[in-house]
Amino acid sequence: MATKNVQLPELGEGVTEGELVKWLVKVGDKISPDQPVAEMMTDKATVEVPSPIAGVVKEIQKKEGDVVEVGAVMLVVETDGASASTGATNGATNGAAAKPAAPAAAQPAAMTASPAAATTQAAKAPAAAASGAAADFYPPVTDSRVLATPATRRLARETGVDLNQVRGTGLAGRVTREDVMGANGAGAVAAGQPSFGGGMAALQTPSIPRPAYQGPAGAAEERVALRGIRKKIAENMQMAKHVVPHFTLMDEANVTALVSMREELRAVGEKTGVKITYLPFVMKALIATIREFPMFNASIDDAAQEIVYKKYFNLGFAADTPNGLLVPVIKNADQKTIIQLSREINDLAKRARDGKLALDEMKGATITVTNIGSVGGQYATPIINHPEVAIFGMYKIQEKPVIKRDAAGNMSLDSIRTMGFTVTADHRLIDGAVAANFLKAFIGRIENPGVLMLDMM
Amino acid sequence: MATQNFDVVVVGAGPGGYVCAIRSAQMGLKTAIIEREYMGGVCLNVGCIPSKALITAGHFLHKMEHNASDMGLTLPGKVKVDMKQMQTWKKSVCDRMAGGVEQLLKGNTVTIIRGEASFKSTTELTVKSKTGTESVTAKNFVIATGSRPIEIPGFSFDEKNVLSSTGGLALDERLESAVVIGGGYIGLEIGSMLSNFGTKVTVVEANKGLLVGLADAECVQVVARKLKKNGVDVMLEAKAKGWKKAGKGVEVTVEVGGKEQVLKADKVLVTVGRRPNSDQANIKGVGIAVDEKGFVKVNAQRRTYVPHIFAIGDIACQPMLAHKASHEGVMVAEIIAGKNRAYEVKTVPSVIFVDPEIAAAGMTEEEAKAAGYTDLKIGKFPFAANGRAVSLMETDGFVKIIADAKTHIVLGVHIVGPEASNLISEAALAVEMGARLEDLALTIHPHPTLGETMMEAAEATLGHAIHIIQKPLGGAKAGAGPRAHV
Repeated sequence: MATKNVQLPELGEGVTEGELVKWLVKVGDKISPDQPVAEMMTDKATVEVPSPIAGVVKEIQKKEGDVVEVGAVMLVVETDGASASTGATNGATNGAAAKPAAPAAAQPAAMTASPAAATTQAAKAPAAAASGAAADFYPPVTDSRVLATPATRRLARETGVDLNQVRGTGLAGRVTREDVMGANGAGAVAAGQPSFGGGMAALQTPSIPRPAYQGPAGAAEERVALRGIRKKIAENMQMAKHVVPHFTLMDEANVTALVSMREELRAVGEKTGVKITYLPFVMKALIATIREFPMFNASIDDAAQEIVYKKYFNLGFAADTPNGLLVPVIKNADQKTIIQLSREINDLAKRARDGKLALDEMKGATITVTNIGSVGGQYATPIINHPEVAIFGMYKIQEKPVIKRDAAGNMSLDSIRTMGFTVTADHRLIDGAVAANFLKAFIGRIENPGVLMLDMM
Repeated sequence: MATQNFDVVVVGAGPGGYVCAIRSAQMGLKTAIIEREYMGGVCLNVGCIPSKALITAGHFLHKMEHNASDMGLTLPGKVKVDMKQMQTWKKSVCDRMAGGVEQLLKGNTVTIIRGEASFKSTTELTVKSKTGTESVTAKNFVIATGSRPIEIPGFSFDEKNVLSSTGGLALDERLESAVVIGGGYIGLEIGSMLSNFGTKVTVVEANKGLLVGLADAECVQVVARKLKKNGVDVMLEAKAKGWKKAGKGVEVTVEVGGKEQVLKADKVLVTVGRRPNSDQANIKGVGIAVDEKGFVKVNAQRRTYVPHIFAIGDIACQPMLAHKASHEGVMVAEIIAGKNRAYEVKTVPSVIFVDPEIAAAGMTEEEAKAAGYTDLKIGKFPFAANGRAVSLMETDGFVKIIADAKTHIVLGVHIVGPEASNLISEAALAVEMGARLEDLALTIHPHPTLGETMMEAAEATLGHAIHIIQKPLGGAKAGAGPRAHV
């Protein structure tokens, strides 16, 4: 028998640590490869950590609630196999995880010289010794082609900015001290948005002040670390408000026809087990409208001073979860039917609530819809999910009295269903009149859902 | 057996190790350093420092013999060379430096342990000394045990007939003749030094040229010419086959172009390079991986496969240079203290104390092209056009600058000439800062100094140096010439 360490693997781009939410195994459990052993909450999502190996859990090294660094040993697992051969494998495994400059492949030769010693060492050494990857560091080494002075390189390293990802604003692309300070924080937000990461990072934003809070002496207060998803939400929101000049336009649509259409379709959906909500209809009307107004499906590359128009339609939708706001993304929503959208929305929303979303399921939105109206509130002024340039809001359906006039000019009272909509836009790119026309065009569609059929793929 | 426990134990007190120990003590870590031989390591005792002392003496003698009379300084006779006194003086230089290291370590409360260290496990070392054996444990270890001269088959070092660099720097009598195997920087430094003392030197080099891969080829040409002028024979593409004792001296068999030749000399010096000491201290035995060249495998933080064990200096990777080791030493101490650090320098400047000196920072032309810089600006300025060089009677050589033609960013500087070793630091700063040619050209350099050559070389690279003839300047389109880019 031999023992092996199970380390916290890479959880996603730019993720260096996670909070251990829950153990899914206990000491003595038999585990198989890829079996989830723990639930970790990162700053992006809650993920399940699989075991890379089979064996019996011998030791659990972290407690629920611990913040665990990528590469740190979580479990010690007892595996089958003669110790002579596992000595080498073990060493090699640790070596590979350590990701040193040189490839690990050449190691076993050295290790087999004294397999017994190697085994003892790997097994006996404390967590730090075996957890090679804990030794990994971030940011990665700056490429020698990056133009940054030694002092700027040091600043970037100490503030966690990957200079390879920063587009310098100085002469010939020189990365300045200001670029690094601007990228600090913003860079993390932009991570996972490959096309715009560089742009954001290079923004010359002054650093955001971090004032301390000191309550009155003896006040009944509790302090909790700002961490994980909450921390990421805080950073994203602050950054978006910092960078994007927001404005919001509000209007009301007569959705009587939509309500009856949806009632009909809901019955159809129930037969196939799919819950059909208003959201997919709004998405369809939104996509059709965006095709007319491409500036709503764009980003600003600040570093390059360019507007990027996107020819694809990835719709994010805000999902309220016990851990906080998450924004799952429906990729290529323009190519999906109402029933497909419904199915995907239900699935993503459920997994968002359960903390089971994969990181790439929350990446790459081109515009976001918030359906806060399903909870309450007449209207809201949402915050744009940067680097998107707009967020679309839908609010609760109300029954309202309206005055109707017939051909003869006689007035009568009628009852209609209304729904509030808002569009919040980045004023750098979108002017008020454009947003007003956009909202008008959208309302034209949502009030006549039959017409939507004309735009459908 | 007593056991001492530390936060950091550094093995080896060379320029990597002692610097690392001092910085880790400065960072508030309980630190020990283990040294089996000399404080200051090879560098201070049998490497950089003693060789520079002897080279200075040789250079001084050369000037006395060749320049003094032109300057109106006539010596009453031939200068007497007292090699024993020279060794005494050399030793005083080394002792002073090594003593300084010890004082610095003590002053920073680093525990000095003398003895030979060996890893017992990844958390414990055994240290053997004359007085006994002790055990040392630590949270972190830094391996800074350096390198040693490579022996080649048939030439085991006895330091009597077959000398390593160590023996070559300890000669207390003048040699009539010497064969130097290896035309790298150590062989040429010691070979030129011996030649200055009147020794007939023959350099045997296996490559097609001298200092291959170590210096810019044009710089090497200047040195090769000077060697020839000073009477040093150079045999290229020559292989040393063996030696035998002949009378008081040696006979070295060399194969050149398929034919064997016998060279007679007082001694043979073998300087074919250095190898990392990774076969010692039971490094491999505790699972620290070593590559096929003998370097301990490390990442950019100089961490080995065992994360709390680091390796720095010659044992970790090329280039095997003291200043690289010191930089790593500081870095590793700070990493252990919790700082985020990585080895991310643009250049490790190199200096070769041949005659004239060669020094370089940044890339050679070939390296720049390989790195994707397709369009280069290259300019040179000769020391012959520099007033200070003329007044020093040292006009051989030049400063050469390689820059990116698009951005004028300085990519590499190669100097061959007087005080190249002292001039290169400005170039290293320029490369690290990403300076442009204009930054060098527009910085006022004091007159009359050798440093002006750097400014003039930058101007020359831009196409308009003052003290050499470069034309046309800007051509017909005045204002559209290189000045316009300033």
